[in-house]
Amino acid sequence: MDNVIKLFVSSGIYNMTLGQAVMIAVGLVLLFLAIKKNFEPLLLVPIGFGGIMANIPEAGLAFSAVENALHLGTPELVGSIAQAVGLDAGAALKAIKEAYASADAAAHLLAVQTAADAGFNNGMLYNFYTVAIASGAAPLLIFMGVGAMTDFGPLLANPKTLFLGAAAQFGIFATVLGAVGLSALGIMDFTIQDAAAIGIIGGADGPTAIYVASLLAPHLLGAIAVAAYSYMALVPMIQPPIMRALTTADERKIAMTQLRHVSKTEKIFFPILLLILVALLLPDAAPLLGMFCFGNLMRECGVVDRLSDTAQNALINIVTIFLGLSVGSKLSADKFLDLNTLGILALGIVAFGIGTAAGVLMAKLMNKVSKHPINPLIGSAGVSAVPMAARVSNKIGLEANPQNFLLMHAMGPNVAGVIGSAVAAGVMIKFVG
Amino acid sequence: MENNDLISQGLTLMVFGMGFVFIFLTLLVGVTNLMSVLVTRYLPEPEVVPAAPRRAAPAATDEAQLLAVISAAVHQYRQRHRK
Repeated sequence: MDNVIKLFVSSGIYNMTLGQAVMIAVGLVLLFLAIKKNFEPLLLVPIGFGGIMANIPEAGLAFSAVENALHLGTPELVGSIAQAVGLDAGAALKAIKEAYASADAAAHLLAVQTAADAGFNNGMLYNFYTVAIASGAAPLLIFMGVGAMTDFGPLLANPKTLFLGAAAQFGIFATVLGAVGLSALGIMDFTIQDAAAIGIIGGADGPTAIYVASLLAPHLLGAIAVAAYSYMALVPMIQPPIMRALTTADERKIAMTQLRHVSKTEKIFFPILLLILVALLLPDAAPLLGMFCFGNLMRECGVVDRLSDTAQNALINIVTIFLGLSVGSKLSADKFLDLNTLGILALGIVAFGIGTAAGVLMAKLMNKVSKHPINPLIGSAGVSAVPMAARVSNKIGLEANPQNFLLMHAMGPNVAGVIGSAVAAGVMIKFVG
Repeated sequence: MENNDLISQGLTLMVFGMGFVFIFLTLLVGVTNLMSVLVTRYLPEPEVVPAAPRRAAPAATDEAQLLAVISAAVHQYRQRHRK
């Protein structure tokens, strides 16, 4: 009988908290959206599954050795960890966790060793997170793959579209203002770092958002990544109403002049040029744009096709698996379930909307002053979300004028948006990092 | 007081951030245009030497070639099906 009770006491049913149950349900919803509705399945399947695994009671997959020791260890062990971080042995769990989070390196190490001596290890997802995201490696490798998949041809044929990519970043900064406004009113509790990390959702660029969040606000990373990827999947629903509201039917019919041919030499020079400009002006954007340019140079130079092929297929797939599971580890109930998450989800969609509107308005302005006609619909593609946003521009353009294919024209602002959001990320890291 | 500080930080970030993004991308537009001009002038693609008539010339030859190929094919088809 004793054994049966023991088994029951260590079972998931006995230990499940309400928060964990809710988060497992959230994970299942993400899986449903990915599998049934085809929302960014490549990311939401690993994120959703990681989220479920992170909330398995007692398994502690998403926690460090010390957190596991505090949760599962004997009172003596908890006492010695409390002493390691400079509290007395009888301190409350919450106080110990806070002290551990803010402890200096020596106290931190002592606490880790105390936990290790008692036989506690880091959870698997925690290790993935440390290697893939905390180190910054995974988002940067993904960015390299994205660079290897990006064709700058349409952008080089019409460099002016870079302005559209710049204008759409307005969503990022407007959202930062919204987030600090909510804090100032006392509704939410965001620091300027948190606000910057939330704003970057408006860049509509998953790896950039995760990179910035991992540097500025790691505790919000789960919510930010989930918001960024879900809204990217929702681009075809979020953007069209804004685009229709801001343009007239005549403007949507505007046909654009054929793009000129871009030579291979130009395509090889461009990533190098971009890298030099980053090196001279904004070294804080160098990790992101450096990897991006590197990937693109491998694609365009034509002599390392094997590397380029690996970067845009095998490697990006491997990294995506680890990135997704690591983001999932941040969906553990104690870190995800609070009011701030709702605030992030709400601010994220506002960021998307403002970015789209700013891009469209900028394109209208450029159409007024430019010699060649510019269809305002391509402005919305300035929020990265490659290539979804460009496809949306194309689709709305075809509705107005069935002969008017805007896809290639929209690819210019689309890749400009990737550069723009990486630059915005660099500025954020520089100013508030 | 602290709240105003937070908002002013947000405003500063917005002004500087947007300003910098625009300056950076404006420079990139300039540098890219310059690079394209230099490349088309000094490093044209091997197949087509002069830069200016590049757009018109190959189109014309393409069309002539296409016409030749099509008429040859039609000719062959008619010959085969005459019997």
